[in-house]
Amino acid sequence: MDLIAPLARTGIISQVVNHWLAVPIGVIFGFGLYHAGFTDSRKIARAFYLKDVGVPVVMFSAIVTGMLGLWLLSLAGFIDTSKMYYLPTYLAPMAVGGLLFGVGMAIGGFCPGTAAAAMSVGRIDGLVFVVGFLGGSILFGDLFPVWGDFYKSDYRGVFRLDQLFGIGLGATIFLLVVAAVAGSLLMRWGQHLFWSVPRDATVEPEQVLKYEAPLVALALLVGFALVFVPTEDFFTEGGEPAYYIVPRGEPGTVTAPRRFQQRLRGAPAAAGVPPAAAGNEGDEGC
Amino acid sequence: MNMRCRWPPVLAGILIGISMILAFVTAGRGIGVSGMLTRLVATVQHWIFPELTEKSAYFSHYFAHGAHPLDNYLTWLVGGMVLGAFLGALSCRDLRLQVQRGPRISAGGRLVYALIGGAITGFAARMARGCTSGQGLVGAAELSVGSWTFLLCIFIGGFATAWFVRKQWI
Repeated sequence: MDLIAPLARTGIISQVVNHWLAVPIGVIFGFGLYHAGFTDSRKIARAFYLKDVGVPVVMFSAIVTGMLGLWLLSLAGFIDTSKMYYLPTYLAPMAVGGLLFGVGMAIGGFCPGTAAAAMSVGRIDGLVFVVGFLGGSILFGDLFPVWGDFYKSDYRGVFRLDQLFGIGLGATIFLLVVAAVAGSLLMRWGQHLFWSVPRDATVEPEQVLKYEAPLVALALLVGFALVFVPTEDFFTEGGEPAYYIVPRGEPGTVTAPRRFQQRLRGAPAAAGVPPAAAGNEGDEGC
Repeated sequence: MNMRCRWPPVLAGILIGISMILAFVTAGRGIGVSGMLTRLVATVQHWIFPELTEKSAYFSHYFAHGAHPLDNYLTWLVGGMVLGAFLGALSCRDLRLQVQRGPRISAGGRLVYALIGGAITGFAARMARGCTSGQGLVGAAELSVGSWTFLLCIFIGGFATAWFVRKQWI
């Protein structure tokens, strides 16, 4: 296949069209969130008591779908990987942010997307959560000098799990698919162990199995096939290296990805220092 | 709730995954929600304190070169997401004003928890440069080490907190 995606960056569609296309993409996203039951804060919170493990299963399923789609399209040569924006890693701020995020989710019963979706279907707790979320964001921004140094610390560039493990990208994908399936089964087992009545009693387990089992088997099969694909085949040849590879065992000698340096300032950044406008590129992710 | 309105988790997850793939293919980036909410609150603060917001260490880049914070991909995406959830509930006749709460907490108590949880989550999402969708799901699909760390830490934080707020939910 020809390298035609990402469409907005290869010039096939304009920015305006790209923004318009975001609306139907968002509709699909929101429609999926609703049908997953994610507009119900009780369902989300019950995941933290293993009383309804539907939430992590949906997340695993979405990750596996997105992961297989992204890397298969890259492998097929449909996506120009040198033009993709990949999320960079700031390890310590992301770990601390994740811990706090989990605390907030257990207390509030939502994450931002699900709260906004719940708000739109009339759930008042969703609306109040969004108001709280806006308050938390403005607090972070206005008192930014207090935690700004920590926020910009521990920069690792675009750092992938296969680089961390030192194994092939395809093998990493297969391991993650297996982990997602095993994790889902383990959590369902935990749910039945601790809570006698399944929450979604109206959805018959046999019915669920009939739809889910073939898809799960397909994901495992595709993942297994990818084990035999060399890592470099996933990336566009000849293009500027999209990936910054961290030298193993030398975290102190990290340099910023060349892409960022060129895009942001036009001048090379010092070793170990994140790109100059550190607020910007993180924001592009979410 | 029947199968038509409450899908098996794997199927619902696949639809969410497809929306991610479409964003990768068209925009070359992932989906996300929290960035748009932060841009929204920066816009509101800019109405009240324009000088302060434009000089803010964190929000200033939203206004660089006369840009408008909400003139962004995520604004359209979140607009679509809100519409998609609305259409889902509409087709299932599930649109209603309601405070969702556990059996042992008052509506007012639940809203206080929602506000506190929202504020903590809002702060945390900015610290982690994204939320469950933009940093968690998208980054995980991209195999990002930071995103997998983020996801793992969400579950650690959530399970650790669950016991203390159990009266609210179960």
